[in-house]
Amino acid sequence: MRHVEEVMGTVVSIELADDLPTPRLQALIDSTCAWLHEVDARFSTYSDDSEVCRFRRGALTLEDCSADLRLVLDRCADLWRDTGGYFDAYAGGPLDPSGYVKGWSVEVASQRLADAGSTRHHIGAGGDLRMRGSGPGGRPWRVGVRHPWEADKLAWVLSVTDGAVATSGTYERGTHVWNPVAGKPASGLRSVTVVGPDLAVADAYATAALAMGEPGLTWLAERVAEGYESAAVTDDGRAFTSPGLPIASDSE
Amino acid sequence: MRRSTAAAVGTLTGAALILGVRLSVQPAAVPVPAAADSGLEEPETGEPAPSGSKKPSGKKPGDSADAGGAQNEQAGLKAGTYKGKAVQNPYGTVTVTIKVADGKITAADATFPNKDFSGTINPKAVATLNSSTLKAQSAKVDAVSGATFTSQSYVTSLQAALDKAGA
Repeated sequence: MRHVEEVMGTVVSIELADDLPTPRLQALIDSTCAWLHEVDARFSTYSDDSEVCRFRRGALTLEDCSADLRLVLDRCADLWRDTGGYFDAYAGGPLDPSGYVKGWSVEVASQRLADAGSTRHHIGAGGDLRMRGSGPGGRPWRVGVRHPWEADKLAWVLSVTDGAVATSGTYERGTHVWNPVAGKPASGLRSVTVVGPDLAVADAYATAALAMGEPGLTWLAERVAEGYESAAVTDDGRAFTSPGLPIASDSE
Repeated sequence: MRRSTAAAVGTLTGAALILGVRLSVQPAAVPVPAAADSGLEEPETGEPAPSGSKKPSGKKPGDSADAGGAQNEQAGLKAGTYKGKAVQNPYGTVTVTIKVADGKITAADATFPNKDFSGTINPKAVATLNSSTLKAQSAKVDAVSGATFTSQSYVTSLQAALDKAGA
């Protein structure tokens, strides 16, 4: 069963490949959407009464924050350190953990689905995907990576059973991808795709590498040891893939 | 020019190794301009050159007609040690050094100064493909990963088309 939900300022696509009765699948999708809307209400930087907004204007102390928000803040701090400052929840000035929250909320959604009996599904939020189990027909999920210049074409097709695929690119936001370390727009890389076990981490790594520019390729190579494979395309069209990138072997 | 250099360097998994292989496989076929293309230039501060790197080979005038040597000299390979410009590539900053003696490349080496990057550089960790391998694929997929930030950009995305088709 497939479902598309507009939430968190983007569009979330859900596909459950489980062999379960339709009402059961529908209930699983409903609860997944309810969770994503809850995340939106609590973590949105656009609504003044969200937990994030109350925390950042000092109306909520760290001690009074929910465990979820404290976890998000901790993980943003970890990733800021792990990426040498290139993943920065404060890059735009005030706290904006959205870059972590999106991937994290999908990770949680996927885990909750698994706990509720869905062992084969994928959730995609704004082009960042989490796959669990096998896809339709019991084969691995086939994940296309958008071609960085041709929106209707793919640059790679990946084969993923359990794992996350996140892509960051300058082609959507132009030069508005910010290099928080240099304090100027990022340049050098056109798109970065990271494949690994955790969507929030993969997303943060893709964002950080894009902000680094071409030195990000070296940095990405070092992430392979942590279980994160990658593919990247430079502004001038050179393509790079890590050796363990799960490229689908066939073309159909 | 810069791009073709990058492509040439990037094509090989060991950038320098490849460049070295190319140069050493067909030393006589490497004209001076090609060497320049590869970012090679005469060093100011290289290691001591085996035989006077800056002057045209001292042997040439007095040498007793070593035909092969003369030919190679015409091809532009002067004896000496040539240190390439530092080239930034995915593995770090690489400097390629070649040694030329008797008109032939006798050694090719690369250094990874590792100055600009911390951590371990694993030359095989990122395989490079040249730009021509960025082919547009059109295979059947279940989902599409891409930088799609807003609901508006979703509407025109492949994922939206997939969702529509699968709904």
